[in-house]
Amino acid sequence: MGESNNTIKRTKYLNPYLGGVLLGLVLLAANFVSGRGLGASGAIKSGVVTVVTAVNPASVENSGFVKEYRESHTGNPMKTWLVFEMLGVLVGGFISGIFAGRLKLKVEHSPKITSNKRLTLALGGGVLFGFGSQLGRGCTSGSALSGMAVLSLGGFITMMAIFGTAFAFAYFFRKNWI
Amino acid sequence: MKPRIWLALFVIPLGLIIAAVPQNTSHPYKLTASQLLEEVNTRTQFITPETVADMIVKKDPTLQLIDVRSQGEFEKFSLPGAINIPIADLLSEEHSGIFDQDAKMNVFYSNSTLMANEAWMLTRQLGYENNYVLEGGLNYWFEVILNPQEPASTSPDEEFAKYDFRKGASQALGGGTVSAQTPETNSAAPKPAIKATPKKKKAAGGC
Amino acid sequence: MGPLSVNELISENTNLFLAFVIGTAFGFVLESSGFSSSRKLAGVFYGYDMVVLKVFFTGAITAMLGLLFFSLFGWVDLDLVYVNPTYLTSAIVGGIIMGLGFIMGGYCPGTSFCGASIGKIDAMVFIIGLFLGVSLFGAGYDWWEKMYLAKFLGSPKISESLGLSDGVFALLLILVALGMFWAAEWAEKKFPREEY
Repeated sequence: MGESNNTIKRTKYLNPYLGGVLLGLVLLAANFVSGRGLGASGAIKSGVVTVVTAVNPASVENSGFVKEYRESHTGNPMKTWLVFEMLGVLVGGFISGIFAGRLKLKVEHSPKITSNKRLTLALGGGVLFGFGSQLGRGCTSGSALSGMAVLSLGGFITMMAIFGTAFAFAYFFRKNWI
Repeated sequence: MKPRIWLALFVIPLGLIIAAVPQNTSHPYKLTASQLLEEVNTRTQFITPETVADMIVKKDPTLQLIDVRSQGEFEKFSLPGAINIPIADLLSEEHSGIFDQDAKMNVFYSNSTLMANEAWMLTRQLGYENNYVLEGGLNYWFEVILNPQEPASTSPDEEFAKYDFRKGASQALGGGTVSAQTPETNSAAPKPAIKATPKKKKAAGGC
Repeated sequence: MGPLSVNELISENTNLFLAFVIGTAFGFVLESSGFSSSRKLAGVFYGYDMVVLKVFFTGAITAMLGLLFFSLFGWVDLDLVYVNPTYLTSAIVGGIIMGLGFIMGGYCPGTSFCGASIGKIDAMVFIIGLFLGVSLFGAGYDWWEKMYLAKFLGSPKISESLGLSDGVFALLLILVALGMFWAAEWAEKKFPREEY
């Protein structure tokens, strides 16, 4: 880095612009190889559909959600592109963590809040994000990032809605982070 | 130098280039391999010598014969009104207007069907329509149009009808002489009734 | 040529294997850029660490430029690349809910997997939340199906909607992104935080 020596120590991380270019190349590779962008929440949807179908096979007929998924996907919902990609993310993150020496079981939170509060908020945030990603047909990676790369109007709208809302509510949650 | 200046030095010129060049609106590789295979299997690309002979005789302006053999072979013999695009030149820019259109019916031919079929597959995969292959190539053309054999007396009536047609076409087409007359017409002749739009396959999406 | 799997130049199983490889690279890049830390991610909303903005927009413009040049060279047929359909209502409402989830939970789905991979317990809890949220959406699907399917606009490109060519829009986006990067560097100097 070098140019911002007044802030926190960030040297252990990749330069963000270099990281961004690499991220862009990964996204480009995904589009070139498979004609699609990166994603994350779709893998979770696959997992949910698998569990729901296993627990209650009748749900395929009863649930519009499962039905809609089944109509657009054939075969085993776990044998899909996004599931394999997200397994890769776990492996890739782990490898990077080894190299950087960041492997550690911990709850990361601001000193102003307790671990339990952080975990409660993480759970709540997860529920909201999971719900929103289904409504918005994709999360930050699937809809916003990948959508922007292919100049999708929906991608730009979702991106602005996500970041705009987070900015708007940032003040109320400041104690959790600062 | 700061990383973001480096980044700017790369992306701004690239952005200027991409903003300045015309958008690539061609559609390479429109068909997937399986769609192409399906068409190959159903042999929809073949057009019989009789049909072609009939069109030549009637000077059908929608017919465009394309000889994909070498220039030397083309000069020795060609079908009436044919143009010569050796298969090596098939993808050159100047010919794209011939293939990428929907007014004329292009019929590729070579000595057999081999090269003509290659030409058809290439243009088909580029997403162009209205391209066909002369069934059996010139060899078959000689056999059935220019030197038709009288069918055996035991043959069904259709065979005789076919023979009569071939005989007539043979005479009209000058029985083997080199003909270089071009039907230079662009009149409002009926368009050949073609063609099913290829169903487009997309990658599955969803985050 | 591309996209390889759509043009069936590679088999379905190869495609899935490459998905794993691409995912690995994705996870590696996210983790090395610091996306496994929720406090680093949340920094973008308070100005103390703008890494999200920098990586996100650099990634978007890099991939966008790459795709436009690939298309120019005929290496990839953009007509065959998946463009997210736009359902205006659900894109906005879904985005707002996700934004709220982001500032509460500090992760987005991709980064939470990344965080979980290096042992962040909050990321793992966030993932549990994701599963609950998706299930909740599925359970009550009939209630919000109308909103989910409202205002369908097809799969328009933003450049078409604005009446610009892809290239000109790309150039504008690059300039906007670079402008934001300069603002981000300024913000990091203005709102510095010590070790977190």
